[in-house]
Amino acid sequence: MDFALSDEHRMLQDTLRGLLTRHQGDDLWPALAEAGVIGALLTEDEGGFDGSGSAIALTFEELGRAGASLPLVAAMIGASALAAAGQGDLAAEVAEGSARVAFADAEPGTRYDRGVAIRAEGDRLTGRKTMVAGAEDARAIIVTTADALWLVDAKASGLTLNAYPLMEGGRGADLTFEATPATRLGALSDFGAVLSRGVLGHSAYALGGIIAATELTLDYLKTRKQFGRAILEFQALAHRVADMAVEVEQARSAVTNLSGHLTADPAIRDRHVQACKATVGRVARLVAEESVQLHGGIGMTEEYALAGMIRRLLAADTAMGDADYHLERFAHGEPAWA
Amino acid sequence: MDMRFTPDEQAFAAEVRDFLQAELDPALAEKNRLHKPLTKAEMEGWHAKLNAKGWLAGNWPREFGGAGWTAIQRHIYEEESAKAHAPRIVPFGIAMLGPVLQKFGSKEQQDYWLPRILNGDDWWCQGYSEPGAGSDLAGLRCRAERQGDHYVVNGQKTWTTLGQHANMIFCLVRTSTEGKKQEGISFLLIDMETPGVSVRPIVLLDGTAEVNEVFFDDVKVPVENLVGTENEGWTYAKYLLTHERTNIAGVGFATAALDNLKRVAKAQIHRGKPLDQDPLFAAQIATTEIELMAMSTTNLRMLSAAAQGQAPGVESSMLKIKGTQIRQQLDALTRRAYGGWAQALPMETGNQGQPLDADDVLSATAGYLNNRKLSIYGGSNEIQRGIIAGTLAKG
Repeated sequence: MDFALSDEHRMLQDTLRGLLTRHQGDDLWPALAEAGVIGALLTEDEGGFDGSGSAIALTFEELGRAGASLPLVAAMIGASALAAAGQGDLAAEVAEGSARVAFADAEPGTRYDRGVAIRAEGDRLTGRKTMVAGAEDARAIIVTTADALWLVDAKASGLTLNAYPLMEGGRGADLTFEATPATRLGALSDFGAVLSRGVLGHSAYALGGIIAATELTLDYLKTRKQFGRAILEFQALAHRVADMAVEVEQARSAVTNLSGHLTADPAIRDRHVQACKATVGRVARLVAEESVQLHGGIGMTEEYALAGMIRRLLAADTAMGDADYHLERFAHGEPAWA
Repeated sequence: MDMRFTPDEQAFAAEVRDFLQAELDPALAEKNRLHKPLTKAEMEGWHAKLNAKGWLAGNWPREFGGAGWTAIQRHIYEEESAKAHAPRIVPFGIAMLGPVLQKFGSKEQQDYWLPRILNGDDWWCQGYSEPGAGSDLAGLRCRAERQGDHYVVNGQKTWTTLGQHANMIFCLVRTSTEGKKQEGISFLLIDMETPGVSVRPIVLLDGTAEVNEVFFDDVKVPVENLVGTENEGWTYAKYLLTHERTNIAGVGFATAALDNLKRVAKAQIHRGKPLDQDPLFAAQIATTEIELMAMSTTNLRMLSAAAQGQAPGVESSMLKIKGTQIRQQLDALTRRAYGGWAQALPMETGNQGQPLDADDVLSATAGYLNNRKLSIYGGSNEIQRGIIAGTLAKG
């Protein structure tokens, strides 16, 4: 048994760490693409060269640690969907970083059901999707309905976009469809493999944020003095940060479990999708809330680094179904993608 | 035992409801329900309506122009106004400084400042915490040096809620470094328009700017603005904190939040049905509601004991912990009821766009983030646990 990264993946990790210290904001995407990071998230069929659980987990964990909020899960799902739709050229552009796609999953009026606010009639979509990250920059949009995955051109008729800032950083949009032409790519379960990679991406991203928030909190407890001593010396606080550290390991193992079972039989893979999201989502919320509390007032402020971490942790729990959503499906023995 | 309010108290509750019905602008209530920051004029306007009714200072004795309410009446007012989404009474003048001046202020200070609080002539803010003195409040370092008929103040205060609206600040300042740290603190009233006072907003993680830093650079404060005796300020500070902790249970706020959560859970769809029919989620709502039912009675038991003259002990610490846990849980459930929809925050400024038809969703997310403060401010829940444990150990 060996949980260590391969040499290739260690190099990928080094590359990423370097890039993330040198590039921020709009610079980052082209830099990641040029360094082959997007390609590492994709299989050869999708225009990339890796796409393994290990590559995805380490990439998103680094992004999560650095707090770089980019719609890269959409790039993975998009490239896979485009390749399946016979649009290999556009998939290759996604892999190169010259084209972007968005993934429209969440809907208003429902927690995580699909197909409540949007419906398909023939090859047209009508309704609304919400909180679609990166929609303004997308050439194509992958849309979920009750049971299927659809491809919509960003310039398609009857598609209107209302954009706004997302709490995790970056911008998202509400998309309104009025008999918008769309290509049905297949059932959700046909894309179970890439959707599961999406969950791995969000979970590993959350793991990076969980680690960063825990480290920041521990540092603060070591340096903040009240009553003449570092507040880490107060056992009530020390035990809580110890509990956080225990949960960090649970989250890491849940990510490792999914990473190691991405290519397993779908029934087994889906158990790990659900277990991973349920564990990481719970730990993400716990660490977010405990970090703020253990910091005190400073942890409530926008200027302090924790604020962005908290919002990204909450968003990562919410993406593609939160802990409760996946817990319920796990309890019922249901597939992850149906 | 009789758990009902007395006929007089029931009549009072009806009177409060009638007043709210007649005087509370529905648009203001809606804005407040959505946790949108109220303007200074909106808060002052609400104070003026209460003052006209004689209800602005429910906690003050009649001799100072207050309503002289019992603890039960105050509870009834707070519960009814929270359920109606009426603005909170800004506490700094009414709930905090007023009682301190009434107990420790000079006759001149009482005659001058108290009517100004009621009439809204001054907007007070609280200068207690400092960057290095939070839970360890007595470790404060903001200096006041006596020079003739003035104090000269240098230092910084932080977490000054609504300080952006204030023209006056009551401050704990260090006037001596001799002896125990609690023994060199004085209570000073400072005009914020004095040269050398500056205010800087602190943006919180929900994007609002309701708290501030206040800086003092050689600020001259007349000695008549000292409350009580020099170096005795810690006594007054502690007295004020006991008043800060009234309504600490927040039963009214929790009741309003529970009603809102149930409304959201009825509207949000989960597995094709209203979310409140989902056993997992319904159980979480029910668990919190049951907690609230018990806490509400704990609150009334303690109010009733106080009304019968029993000195409050650790009860307020217990109510603070349980009350904030319940409110934070209700806020967390409300945000989570929205699921994937709850990924944006309200933007008060700029033209950056807003999601469609999502005012309630945005307020749920902002409310959840903002109310993380509940277990931090007014003595963090860890400090409260220390107080409870310390008292139990002595008993």
